[in-house]
Amino acid sequence: MAQQPRLIEDHIRKNKFDTLVICMLMVILLFSVIFAIGFILGAPPILTMMLALPIALFYIFITYSFSVQSVISAAGARPINSQNREEKLLGYKVEEMALAAGIPTPKVYVQDSKDINAFATGHKPEDAVICATTGALQQLNSEELEGVIGHEMSHIRNRDILVMTVTVGVVGAIALIAEIALRMLFWSGGRSGDRKGGGNIIIVVIAIIFIILAPIFSRLTYLAISRRREYLADADGAYLTRNPEGLAKALEKIKADFPDDPKGSKTVAPLYIANPFKRGLRDSIWSTHPPLDERIRRLRSM
Amino acid sequence: MDLMLIIGLVVLLIVVVILLWFFSYYNRVVRYENRIDNAWAQIDVQLKRRADLIPNLMETVKGYMNHERQTLEAVTKARSAVMTAKNPQDSIDADNMLTGALKTLFAVSESYPDLKANQNFLQLQDELTHTEEKIAYSRQHFNDSVLQFNNLIETFPGNIFANMMGKKERQMLQIPEASREVPKVSF
Repeated sequence: MAQQPRLIEDHIRKNKFDTLVICMLMVILLFSVIFAIGFILGAPPILTMMLALPIALFYIFITYSFSVQSVISAAGARPINSQNREEKLLGYKVEEMALAAGIPTPKVYVQDSKDINAFATGHKPEDAVICATTGALQQLNSEELEGVIGHEMSHIRNRDILVMTVTVGVVGAIALIAEIALRMLFWSGGRSGDRKGGGNIIIVVIAIIFIILAPIFSRLTYLAISRRREYLADADGAYLTRNPEGLAKALEKIKADFPDDPKGSKTVAPLYIANPFKRGLRDSIWSTHPPLDERIRRLRSM
Repeated sequence: MDLMLIIGLVVLLIVVVILLWFFSYYNRVVRYENRIDNAWAQIDVQLKRRADLIPNLMETVKGYMNHERQTLEAVTKARSAVMTAKNPQDSIDADNMLTGALKTLFAVSESYPDLKANQNFLQLQDELTHTEEKIAYSRQHFNDSVLQFNNLIETFPGNIFANMMGKKERQMLQIPEASREVPKVSF
């Protein structure tokens, strides 16, 4: 391969900075949503502000602390069983790729599902987890599986997993809070209108619109970076395996295999190597992943 | 008087900037160099691990492959070469010999159905292949680390600092092309 190794240090530093910016954006967004709800419910702004920030920070902290377990349980993943030859060989592949990347060996999980997919999660390389579906173990050959694991290993080494995992939590929380708030407003809409003067109604409307838009906005922030990171992980993964064709073939198999909705895929979807949802949604601006055809084309041109 | 103060401050600022720059380079060079040493340690662990697996393998195949004295001897010889190698390049060369010998052994084993059905043998074969891959990947990581280190200390302005620190370019591990060939099996 003629590709020059990137200065991975610089790349990781930039990624850490991005991660910080995105986490701050998420705190601000979460804070604003809580503030808007407080405002609509008629609480004094100062009080809401004093409450909203700790709540937002606390939530991010909780998401950070429990993200790995919650992703694993959402996916219904279990640790590999070394008695099973396929799962043992997956463990071997992960060890090999970790050596190539020069990072500690992540914990290895499998998810029982017919689809071909895999994801990585964790905060830092030391506590990372790689999970593959049983479908991937059965349908991919050794070279293809290596390509997929190389891709996931690059996410871990490039420090993509933290921002991916935390955003998955926060995006979910904002969506949930917004939904609860809108339901509450729907039920108590009449009363709060009576309590307030007519002048506030415009601000209340703005706050409601904001609550409706917040989940969309939080998703878009995340999507903006997620697709670029997928291309990078493809390229870095190919550099680790020295074999772009392996991942390209695996992606072709994923494309041919019409994905069913695996367990917990809504929560875990952005973490997977390929979007687990139906084909129609795949290539829209809502995709967390770039189109498979484009990824395969780029891998083949390396 | 004021002018002197300003010049003094500017000079001080420049010195501080150069010092900070030097510190960051110094730390980088040390970090990269440690990574190379660590990468070598990883290879070494895998080489030992593979050498440790060989006696078990010999024990398992002995009963089945009595007629393959030459093949078995080649493996034993390569193993002791790995155990006695003095420097990194020797270890790698000896390990390539072992890889070749094992490839022949596994190719020959295809014609012994009893051996191929032996669970112990299958497990050893998986594990030896895995260790071989691990050696290949840690060797790759070693060479990647050396390349990064060499790039750092040979390009401007890193080369100035590297000279001051007395750091020299590191050698990559050479992998002979012959080891990639498919072994010729003769019965």
